[in-house]
Amino acid sequence: MMQGPDIGKAIFEHTSDSRVVELPFGLGEWHLPTGWHLFGIDVSPTKHVVFMVVAATLVFVTMRIAGRQIERRHREGKAPHGFGAAIEAVVLFVRNDVAIANIGHGGENYAPYILTLFFFILYCNLFGLLPWGATATGNLAVTGALALTAFVTVEVTGLVALGPKGYLKTIVFVPPGITGIGAVLMALIMTPIEIIGKIVKPFALTLRLFANMTAGHFVILALLGLIFIFGSWLVAAATVAFVVFMMLLELLVAFLQAYIFALLTSVFIGMMRHAH
Amino acid sequence: MPVVLLRLQEATGSGEGGFTPFSINTGLIFWTIVVFLVLLGLLWRFGWPAILKSVEDRERRIQQQLEEAERARVEAQRLLEEHRRMAATAKAEAQELIAKAKAVAEKERAALLAKAREEYDELLKRARKDIQEEREKAILALRREAVDLSIAAASKLLEAQLDTETNRRLVTEYLATLEQQR
Repeated sequence: MMQGPDIGKAIFEHTSDSRVVELPFGLGEWHLPTGWHLFGIDVSPTKHVVFMVVAATLVFVTMRIAGRQIERRHREGKAPHGFGAAIEAVVLFVRNDVAIANIGHGGENYAPYILTLFFFILYCNLFGLLPWGATATGNLAVTGALALTAFVTVEVTGLVALGPKGYLKTIVFVPPGITGIGAVLMALIMTPIEIIGKIVKPFALTLRLFANMTAGHFVILALLGLIFIFGSWLVAAATVAFVVFMMLLELLVAFLQAYIFALLTSVFIGMMRHAH
Repeated sequence: MPVVLLRLQEATGSGEGGFTPFSINTGLIFWTIVVFLVLLGLLWRFGWPAILKSVEDRERRIQQQLEEAERARVEAQRLLEEHRRMAATAKAEAQELIAKAKAVAEKERAALLAKAREEYDELLKRARKDIQEEREKAILALRREAVDLSIAAASKLLEAQLDTETNRRLVTEYLATLEQQR
C-alpha cells in the first residue's frame, strides 16, 4: 500500500478550533490576535469565536428583516407572506410547541431564551456545512457554555418558582411519609443523587450537541480521506455520492440538534417548575 | 468521561495551535457566553417582540373575527327563528281575521235578513191593519149611507102614508087605549 497522507491529522485539524481563519475564495488566512487576557484567562479570539459572532449577527439580521416584514404586512392588514412567514412559522413552532408546550403555563417568558438558543445553535450548525466554515457547536467549550446557560436558567427558575424552601427540596430530597432517622438517611443517600441529576442534564446537553456535530464531520472527512488514500476515480465517485448523502443527513442533524437542545432545555425548565 | 476526554487531549495535544476537537478552551466558554448573552439581549429587545407582537395581534384579531362571526351566526339564527315565528303568527292571525270576517259577515247577513223579514212583516201587518181599518170605515160609511137612504126612503114613505084614514084611526085608537089605561 502506498504512503497516504495523514487523514486522521487532517480530520482533527479541520474539526478543531484554531487561531487562523481561512478566508474564502483564496483571500488567504486571517491570523487572529493572541495574548488577550481577562481575569487571568486567555480570551484570545479563535476561529469558533469568529464564526459564533458571524452566526449571531446573521441570526439578528434575519430576525430584524423578518420582524420588519411581518410588522409592515401586519400594519397594512395583509396576510403573512414570503420570508417573514417562513421565519414566523419556525419562531411560532419553537415558541408554542417547544417552549410553552414543555415549560407549561408562563412558558412565554422563557420563549425568547429558547428561541435564541434554537436559532443560535441552528445557525452555528449550518455554518459548519458551508465551505470554509467552522462548526462552533462542534466544540465542547461552546456547547458546554450553552449548556451552562441552560443549567443556570433551570436552577434560577427553580429558586424563583419554588421558593428557597421548595428549591432546597430539589437538592435534599426526602420521600414523603418518611420521618426521623429514616429521613436523615434518605437525605444522605438522595442528596448526591439529586446533585448528580442536576449536573448530568447540562452535561448530556453538552456532549449530545458536540458529538452530533463533530461525528458528522468526522464521517464526511473520513470518507473524503478515502479518495486520497486510494487515489482512484472510482473510489472518488462512490465516496462523493456517500458524502452528498452524509451532507444531507448533516443538514437534517443541524436542525434536529438545535431542536433537541431547545426542547430538552424547555423540558428541564418545565420539570424544575413542576418539581415538588 | 472527563478522564477519557483528558486522554484524548493528551493523545492529540500536539495539534496546530494546541487545539484538538476535544480540547476545552476556557476563553471560548467566556466568548460563547458573551456572544450568546449579547444576542439574547438584542433579540429580546429588538427581535422577538417585533415578530411575536404582530403574530399575537393577528391571532387576537382572527380570534375576535371568529367570535364575531359566531355571534353573527347566532344572531342570524335567532333572527331567522323570529322571522319564522312571525310569519307563522302572521299566517295564523290572517287565518283568524278571515274567519272572524267571515263570521261577522255571516252574522251581518243574518241580521240584515232578519231585519228585512221583520220590516216586511211589519209592512204586511200595517198593510193588513190599514186594509182592515179602511174596510171597517167603508162598512161604517156604507152602513150610514144605508141608514140615511133608509131613513130618507122611510120618511118619504111615512110622508106619503101619514094623512091617510087608516093612520088617523090608528092614532085615535091608540089614544083611546091610553085613556083606558089611565
